Amino acid sequence: MSLFATRGLTVQFGGLTAVDHVDAGVEEGETLGLIGPNGSGKTTFFNAVTGLVPATGEVVFRGAPLPGLEPHVICQRGIARTFQASRLCLGLSVFDNVLIGMHAHVRCGLLEALFRRARMLSEVRQALKQAAHLLSLFNADLVDRGFDPVGALPQIDRRRVEICRALAAQPRLLLLDEPSAGMSPEETVELMKDLQIVREEMPGLSIIIIEHDMFVIEGVSRRVVAFNYGRKIAEGTFAEVARNEEVREAYLGRGSGTEGSARA
Amino acid sequence: MTLIGVWAVELGLFVLVVAALLAERPIAVGLTVAAIGILLLAARTSPRLWGWVATAFRTHRAAALAGAAVLALALPFFLRASPYWTFVATMALVYVTIGQGMNMQLGTAGVINLAGAAFAGLGGYTVGLLTVRLGFAPLLAFAIGPLVAMVVGALLFIPILKVRGHYLALVTIAFGFIFNILMNNLEFTGGPQGIKNIPTLRLFGYAFTSAPTLFGMRLPSHANFYFAALAMAGLVTWLAWRLYNSWVGLTLNTLRDDEIAAKCSGVSVARYKLLAFSIGNFFIGLGGAFYAVMVGFVSPPDFDFGYSLVMVSVIILGGLDSIPGIVLGACLLIPLPERFRMLHEYRLLLYGAVIVLMLLFRPRGLWPATVRRYGLKGPAGSFGVAGGGSR
Repeated sequence: MSLFATRGLTVQFGGLTAVDHVDAGVEEGETLGLIGPNGSGKTTFFNAVTGLVPATGEVVFRGAPLPGLEPHVICQRGIARTFQASRLCLGLSVFDNVLIGMHAHVRCGLLEALFRRARMLSEVRQALKQAAHLLSLFNADLVDRGFDPVGALPQIDRRRVEICRALAAQPRLLLLDEPSAGMSPEETVELMKDLQIVREEMPGLSIIIIEHDMFVIEGVSRRVVAFNYGRKIAEGTFAEVARNEEVREAYLGRGSGTEGSARA
Repeated sequence: MTLIGVWAVELGLFVLVVAALLAERPIAVGLTVAAIGILLLAARTSPRLWGWVATAFRTHRAAALAGAAVLALALPFFLRASPYWTFVATMALVYVTIGQGMNMQLGTAGVINLAGAAFAGLGGYTVGLLTVRLGFAPLLAFAIGPLVAMVVGALLFIPILKVRGHYLALVTIAFGFIFNILMNNLEFTGGPQGIKNIPTLRLFGYAFTSAPTLFGMRLPSHANFYFAALAMAGLVTWLAWRLYNSWVGLTLNTLRDDEIAAKCSGVSVARYKLLAFSIGNFFIGLGGAFYAVMVGFVSPPDFDFGYSLVMVSVIILGGLDSIPGIVLGACLLIPLPERFRMLHEYRLLLYGAVIVLMLLFRPRGLWPATVRRYGLKGPAGSFGVAGGGSR
């Protein structure tokens, strides 16, 4: 049985069906690529899975159904995500932005914050150490800038911090929503290396990644699902999906050049 | 050496503040105002001077706090000739307490509350009703007041949890007016006359209305309340600092900046907003309850919308989400219109102008919030290694 699977997942906004009866799933430790033209429902699929928009159909994660749960509960169950448009708190420090990812695992609450300071501080130290470890996987300099506001960082480092925040939740399934958005080609290469580091460091982690950059998709995912108009139109290896007629028509455009290597 | 410097700076400021408060003749007022102006200008134009002061205070933080505490305790002795200024100083401390509560909501969690005066009123009226109508001991009533403000706030908040931003502002404004109208019209709250003769606080048989003699100096009875307010404001500020430098502060900041990111990081947004709103109302209600036992009288105009605006101006002037900034904001904004009595009629105008000017030119306040360090020392890099972060 797979770690995560949807059956007939559907999201409707008024008359518009943004996600239309999608069956998809990932195995433990697998990376699934999710492609499709703009407006094909990829991000809405993520929003439905993480409980941000109401959906019908089945979502099973670690053997339990998800629909109807609130976003924070879904996170606690082990699904973490990043966002296409960065959702970091730019005024807060790098460390703070990663630490919030550990929220579900934090044991100290109001009482410890006020009256059991030593206990809380030892937990904070532990968390800072873990945050520093995650940050140093990607860029050791980020640790030294731990108490700088995130707003002072370049785009690629912000994206790294956001991925660290998601990883800090110790998820079983990581949803990456177009991590290369707004990056230069050089930064995209860097980002791919980062994703490979995640892959190596966390072999058991399942990942679903939305990408427009075919170079990234080809590099990190073995299996690819293609969306168009909210429906799943193809599934298979990157090469298989890239060869698929319907995908080429919908996504690359009819007769638009060479298979797969085209950058969208 | 720098330690002496820190205390010298504090003492100098203290002397100027006392002089500014007590100066009677126009020439004395002019001189002190000019001295303060020159100092501010010097600090602003000379980065070296400012840098030296900032570094000195950072390295000797404990000593600076101790010095400030000693001076704050000494203030009533210098103001002993003027019960009025002792009272104003006490009100500033009450506003420190209220400001920390308001800041927990608006500054830390981004939950707009424009009914601060109503929640202070709930604390004050609770004290009045319990003591005068039901014969409770003042101290007990004083302890219950803030709880009532907190509980009523929570009951109000649950149905409007889903309401955000401007709508929340509107709901709280409406609540403030409803509170005022009710107090004006209900029979048992005394209507427009309010509740008179609230008995004063007693601690171990010592009535707060008796004039104390300390170190051979006879102080006005208001000094009792000054010392009590100092303890209250100090305690509340200390608690607020601890909350800010904790997981709670981090969680509230995150949901203020990006609610969706907070949700997807596992934060129950509703629960934490309610928490911030409740803690904030507790502190605001505490300030209101203190006001009731101090003045011995509560009436609807004491808690009208204008005072909600004062509370918001205090935190915007001091610095949103800045714990020391709130103290500064309250200590500046409360005595200022009292000093310039001719402005008194235009008090609300002054507060409005403060909000507009600050938002335009210094939106983060006079003493902006700094990055959360959880009270830990050491460079960021030291937290990566085992046992990192000295102390």
